[in-house]
Amino acid sequence: MNRWTLGTGLTVVLAAAILAGIRFGSVPISNADFFAVLMGEGDLVDRNIVMELRLPRVLLGILVGGGLAVAGATFQALLRNPLAEPYILGISGGASVGAVLVLALGWTIAGSWILPIAAFAGALVAITLVFRIATTTGRAMDVRVLLLAGVVVAAFFSACIALIFSISSAQTVQSTVLWIMGSLAAANWQSVALTATYTLPATLLLMRLARPLNLMAIGEETAHYLGADVEGVKRASLGIAALITASGVAVAGVIGFVGLVVPHTIRLLVGSDHRALLPLSFVAGATLLTLADIAARLILSPTEIPIGVITAFVGVPLFLTLLRRNLSTP
Amino acid sequence: MRQLRLACTVLVLVTPVCLVTACRLDQQESSTSKSSGAISLLDASGVQHILPRPAGRLLSLVPSATETLRAMGAASTLVGRTDYDTGTWIAELPSVGGGLGPNLEAIVSLQPDLVVRFAGGQDQATPSRLDELGIPHISVRPDQIEDIYTTAKLLGRATGYEAAADSLVQAIRSNLERVASLTAKLPRQRVAYVLGGSPPWVSGPGTYIHEVITLVGGENVFGDLGPLYSAVSFEEILNREIDVVLIPNEAAADPFLSQDARIEVFGPELEMPGPDVVETASRVAELLHGIELP
Repeated sequence: MNRWTLGTGLTVVLAAAILAGIRFGSVPISNADFFAVLMGEGDLVDRNIVMELRLPRVLLGILVGGGLAVAGATFQALLRNPLAEPYILGISGGASVGAVLVLALGWTIAGSWILPIAAFAGALVAITLVFRIATTTGRAMDVRVLLLAGVVVAAFFSACIALIFSISSAQTVQSTVLWIMGSLAAANWQSVALTATYTLPATLLLMRLARPLNLMAIGEETAHYLGADVEGVKRASLGIAALITASGVAVAGVIGFVGLVVPHTIRLLVGSDHRALLPLSFVAGATLLTLADIAARLILSPTEIPIGVITAFVGVPLFLTLLRRNLSTP
Repeated sequence: MRQLRLACTVLVLVTPVCLVTACRLDQQESSTSKSSGAISLLDASGVQHILPRPAGRLLSLVPSATETLRAMGAASTLVGRTDYDTGTWIAELPSVGGGLGPNLEAIVSLQPDLVVRFAGGQDQATPSRLDELGIPHISVRPDQIEDIYTTAKLLGRATGYEAAADSLVQAIRSNLERVASLTAKLPRQRVAYVLGGSPPWVSGPGTYIHEVITLVGGENVFGDLGPLYSAVSFEEILNREIDVVLIPNEAAADPFLSQDARIEVFGPELEMPGPDVVETASRVAELLHGIELP
């Protein structure tokens, strides 16, 4: 498929998804009232629903979904492993331990930033730990060691969570499980601003690294012979991708499948040139999460389904179809 | 590469500053000025609230508080319910989803002038979002018998049903005293409350279950455990001399529980503190002692 066709198509779908995301929710609003709100009029209830609840939520979905997809594409290129996804370096485990600790110790004050900060700090601890392990073996960072370190650190963190669960109250367990499942329900303008500060510049930085990433995806040795600064690119892009993931986890919990399925899908459609893959993954990830969130809000309204469930239900069949078609055409 | 490293550093550094600014903004918002001639409330989180007038459009996210409002005759002030309020009397009202993590859109559309929510940090997002949307909210704790009184009085003040709340509290108190005195002279029964699970979870001290069992002449055999609920081994259950095992439903039954003890399926009421405490306590008393209360 032509990358420009796909790009235009995805952008149109994303625009429609944004409109649908602020137009529809559990509370029906008439067309007239909706357009009044868009014009900056309308009554306070409709305005609050559209501008304070739905719009920040849609924007956060775009940032988190796009960010996870770009991070996933980057991890897949650097680790040269099709199973790589944004959480592969133990980031979700670190963030969860941060969040669980805060919840179990009862340090939370309603409306404070303690929980996202703790989650973010936990994610940073995980990243640092994994990177340190991967670089102690020699001067160069070995991606195989990095992968193993990620798996081991993740296993350690899940043991920590199990320990904290077994000695804390049922309420803590419940709230933590809800948090770990991931949701955009807590979106407000502050979390949108926070995520944007990380995700947008970080995505642009990764796009600037698209050419070296192309070389790295072939192999580190080849990349080196072709003149890429292998160590520099590897560390910078891994670090940036990890930061995007950490900021997403901090505000929306652990949302699975977007970072794994979206980059693979785009790669199947337009090939693995990262100059196209990264921006298209961002738009596709944003679209998938925005649509998934609309479904999460509407299917069992007013109760919400965890968004990770929808991304898996939609993403997995879509991906498998593409994979089959791709394998059957020689 | 140096540029990249610099950019990364800037990214990591900028955000905490944004966060701190956001926190400051939050604090400014919460310290809004007080108005005079209004109702002052101290909720279960220890937060002082000022209402300009009694709340007339109430949304309770706490089923026990909802039942309390009904028991004091203030059901007409309710504008919505949660999925866990299953009584037919409230089925007509629109639901806002769960009591924790409710649907904010649905809340905004109901235009409540006061939201009653759970105290504690299980649901981080809802209180702060309500603040941002300018919807007042108070917290209640539905954990123990004393909380039923506190909640009733708080809701009474908030809605202007103070007298009704006081007489509800009086009625519950005197009826509980009556049940307690009727069972006081009977031989104490050794009771375990098993919530289910494998290993089974039992109620320790500090729960509503423990309070009600103790009140009606029972002794919680696991009253020596840590507070609230604990998982214990089947060995430990067999080790303790138990007269009656209370379970909420058939699913919690297990052959290991019944060596010498009598197993009684009680229903979920003991796990839901509320204004029906007198009825619940009477049923426990009748089950434990095999009597009929007048």
